[in-house]
Amino acid sequence: MSQNEAFGIADIQHEPDNATRSWRRLLLTNEFGLILLIVAFTAIFAILAPAFLSRFSLFAMGRTMAIDIVIGLSMMVVIVTGGLNLSVGATAVCAVMFAGWLIEAMGLPLPVAILGALAMGAGLGWINGMVIVKSGIHSFIITLATMSIFFGVMIFLTRAEAFRALPPEVAAFGKAKIGGYLSPLLLVTVVVALALAYLYRYTALGRRMLAAGASPAAAELSGIRVNRTFVACHVLSGLLATVAGLMLTARTGAAIPSMAGHLGQDWLLPAFLAPVLGGTLLSGGRVAVAGTFLGGALVTVLSAGLLLMQVGEFWVKAVLGLLLLLAVFADKGRRVWLAKRKMA
Amino acid sequence: MTSGTYTLGGLLAAALVATMPMAGLADEAKVALVPGGPHPYFAAWEQAGADAAKDFGLSAADYRVPQQWELSQQNELLESLLTQGYNSFLIFPGDPVGTVSVVDELTGEGATVISLAGCLKAPSADAFCLGTDTGNSAYLGTKELIKAMGGKGRIAHFTGFLVDPNTQLRIDAVQRAADETNGAVTVVQVIADIDAPEPAEEKINAYLAAEAANVDGIVTTAWVPAVVASNALRRIGDKRIKMVGIDHDEVVLQAVKDGFVNGTMLQNPYGQGYIGSFAASKMRGGCTVKADAPFKSTALTEKFIDSGTVFVDATTVDTYVAAMQGITKDLMGTFEATYLDCPA
Amino acid sequence: MTRLFKQDWFGLLAVVVVACAVITVLKPAFLSSYNLQILLASIAINAMIVFSQAIIIAIGQMNLSIGAIGGLAAISFAGAMEVWGLPVPLAAALGLAIGLGAGLLNGWLVAVSGISAFIITLATLYIFNGITLGITEAQPFYGIAESVKTFGDAILIGPIPMIAMPTVLVIAAMIWMLTRMRIGRHILAVGGNAHAAELGGVSAQRTVIWAHAISGVLAALAGMIVVARLQIGQPTIGNDWLITSFAAPVIGGALLQGGHLSVIGTLLGVVIIAIITQGLVLFGVDPFAMQIALGGLILWAVAIDRTRSWRAERNRVKIA
Repeated sequence: MSQNEAFGIADIQHEPDNATRSWRRLLLTNEFGLILLIVAFTAIFAILAPAFLSRFSLFAMGRTMAIDIVIGLSMMVVIVTGGLNLSVGATAVCAVMFAGWLIEAMGLPLPVAILGALAMGAGLGWINGMVIVKSGIHSFIITLATMSIFFGVMIFLTRAEAFRALPPEVAAFGKAKIGGYLSPLLLVTVVVALALAYLYRYTALGRRMLAAGASPAAAELSGIRVNRTFVACHVLSGLLATVAGLMLTARTGAAIPSMAGHLGQDWLLPAFLAPVLGGTLLSGGRVAVAGTFLGGALVTVLSAGLLLMQVGEFWVKAVLGLLLLLAVFADKGRRVWLAKRKMA
Repeated sequence: MTSGTYTLGGLLAAALVATMPMAGLADEAKVALVPGGPHPYFAAWEQAGADAAKDFGLSAADYRVPQQWELSQQNELLESLLTQGYNSFLIFPGDPVGTVSVVDELTGEGATVISLAGCLKAPSADAFCLGTDTGNSAYLGTKELIKAMGGKGRIAHFTGFLVDPNTQLRIDAVQRAADETNGAVTVVQVIADIDAPEPAEEKINAYLAAEAANVDGIVTTAWVPAVVASNALRRIGDKRIKMVGIDHDEVVLQAVKDGFVNGTMLQNPYGQGYIGSFAASKMRGGCTVKADAPFKSTALTEKFIDSGTVFVDATTVDTYVAAMQGITKDLMGTFEATYLDCPA
Repeated sequence: MTRLFKQDWFGLLAVVVVACAVITVLKPAFLSSYNLQILLASIAINAMIVFSQAIIIAIGQMNLSIGAIGGLAAISFAGAMEVWGLPVPLAAALGLAIGLGAGLLNGWLVAVSGISAFIITLATLYIFNGITLGITEAQPFYGIAESVKTFGDAILIGPIPMIAMPTVLVIAAMIWMLTRMRIGRHILAVGGNAHAAELGGVSAQRTVIWAHAISGVLAALAGMIVVARLQIGQPTIGNDWLITSFAAPVIGGALLQGGHLSVIGTLLGVVIIAIITQGLVLFGVDPFAMQIALGGLILWAVAIDRTRSWRAERNRVKIA
């Protein structure tokens, strides 16, 4: 039983064993459903407001999507373990501010600062992972606390001052347009997603992560060092959060402490929405990289479309919440239906 | 298949629109007034925009607010507004550097951008910055406070968001005014980032509860802290602590009348919105900014136009509206001639 | 078992007394009437928020939407007075009704779907918050009735503010409910072991719905009191309730798995957090350091929680 299941965060799963073909069908259904929804909503918005498909609009959406998807991926890799990481926003901000400090206070060149940020993100993730496995306490509470601590230390050290004198390449990367439509940030996201898919499908580490997440006890018995694997997942989460943070910094051109909101909590909505929409189960053991990608895309399409609708501005959050609710219900319904078919 | 034809038609139209540049086709100014987030200071912009649209025949002058005081939200809103066809933007920067990037993009797509009430850090692509000289205003306000305190004592300074471009200017100005007394007056505490009701309530009350005996004067350079501090002084009741506030919230004005607060520094949000819209409409109509215009220089930018400030105390508080209108009229009268080059 | 409860209770009380004594010696301003008033007001509001979460922790779940419910009730309360001109009692009733409705929705969704409360309340958090934003367009309601504003500021006696009254009533009601009423016992039973409770004839579904309903009402009440205190109907009310709402119950002795809730212990948890926060300000500790302190408090609280449940487990094994 995963942590999420034990603490009532995820509902207890009773997956059917002989499920390979229906797994594939399940997977297909989810991703296909998301693509359908994306196309449907794009069409609706395009008809209601043709400017939705304008060059600038597509560019801006692609860029926002790129960042939100990576945020979702950073949460996804922890959900796989059957846990949560509420500190994704705080971790990213710490790492990015560290990079800013390296550049401005230490005079280090950009590539070194980026590496420094990634190291910081991985390090903070490592701290999360270690505290969680050593204490056995649920990751919700631990990362609730570390979110506060990481953010607090960062604010304390930086006096909440932004780093505004970053090298111009940073902002240039964020503003660059490939062919007038595509943001290089989206390419970064695609590369990251492909790398993750490769990790989970073809590498031993990835498979260990899935096994440990699905059933820690069974994995332990079959020789997998579950604790170490969980820590690795949190390190990966910290790394991905940092990547998202760096992308956001490129987009704004400055390293700002409030980039993810107070305590980094503004990132929690995209962080959860994308994976859950994409079919990653909160109980762990199953990952859906493509689904998370599409889930993030759907969220961006919906938000941008609603913003475009003159009435939609302030109702975006409510709609996204509703979407999350519908998604979990649909997911539950699908699983119940499948279980019934297995029984019958 | 009528619905199919409609869909096809809609998509074709969208494709056509997609190839068109965003702004620059419309000659009529479609103005968007965009603050950094929800805040009572900007409420006057809404009326100013409406009046300007009527007086100058603008196709629109709409007040659009990001859902939260967060840079990504403002950026997404601006991108969306550009897509919606707005070609002039009066923006309060969510961050003095973080907003430079998005302003570059807006002007790159042919829009006119003016910074309002807060400036971008140069170099930036906005036409100019029209706002209160907040440093000067804070300086004058502190001088009035020192006068009320009898030339000596300890000052507490409550101010706004750290991401607000004006906050550091204000902190420095208050300090400068105190330093000029050669030690007779000292700034014992600066509390920033409290320009929202809950943190202001919490921090100001906690501070006064602990330190009221050690403070002789309060200067507030942000709207919400001014309101909260006025209420706190009213609660304490002994009128020993002198205070100079900012802006024209009813609570502050009433406190000035009742003697709990010595005076307030007025800004000119209505004037900013009105004159800004006027300037935007002129520029859409072909005017350009004079290369040798008599701009002022501030710590952030070289293209600053002062929208005026006035100190109001118990004797002048009843006529404050007239005072501000007077300033706006003066500025309007000479604006075009002073700052713009218009085709004959 | 009862002695163990009492032990923790007294432990917390001792911590509170010692902390107060130490702070007063170092900073006599701590005991000033004004400071105590601020402290008690803060405790009153936070206690309400915390109990809204505590009741859900007791059934072994989490309610992420308490802040959103509080905010929605707050602006509805304020808006009803400003826009519809409703008299205070009616507006307050509306606010409570919204809290009740929101709680019932949460409870019903959780009970009927079997989906975890975490995800359900995460979704409803955004739904309620979104509705609040949609209605207010991020602008606060200023037109609060004078009587409400006075209530928010008024003193009952000495340093005790008027807003402490609702909290005291709620605390009394909670203690009564958990010890004397059937629903209280059911809540603790379901939290401890839902399966066993079902076998014993308790309807887990009905209990869950009840608990969430109570949680919603308490959150709404807290939101409305904040309106009285702030004197405006601010849509951001509730945005930062989450951390405290978890830290205090855990400090106070609630087990995160559910089944155990000490009202006095939880209250003392709130007091400890309030005193530490106040203390930090008094000693001029950098306000930025407050966040670190809060996070550290949570870790300390769960460490205690862990030790306590480990000890309880060990005692259970011992007896068996």
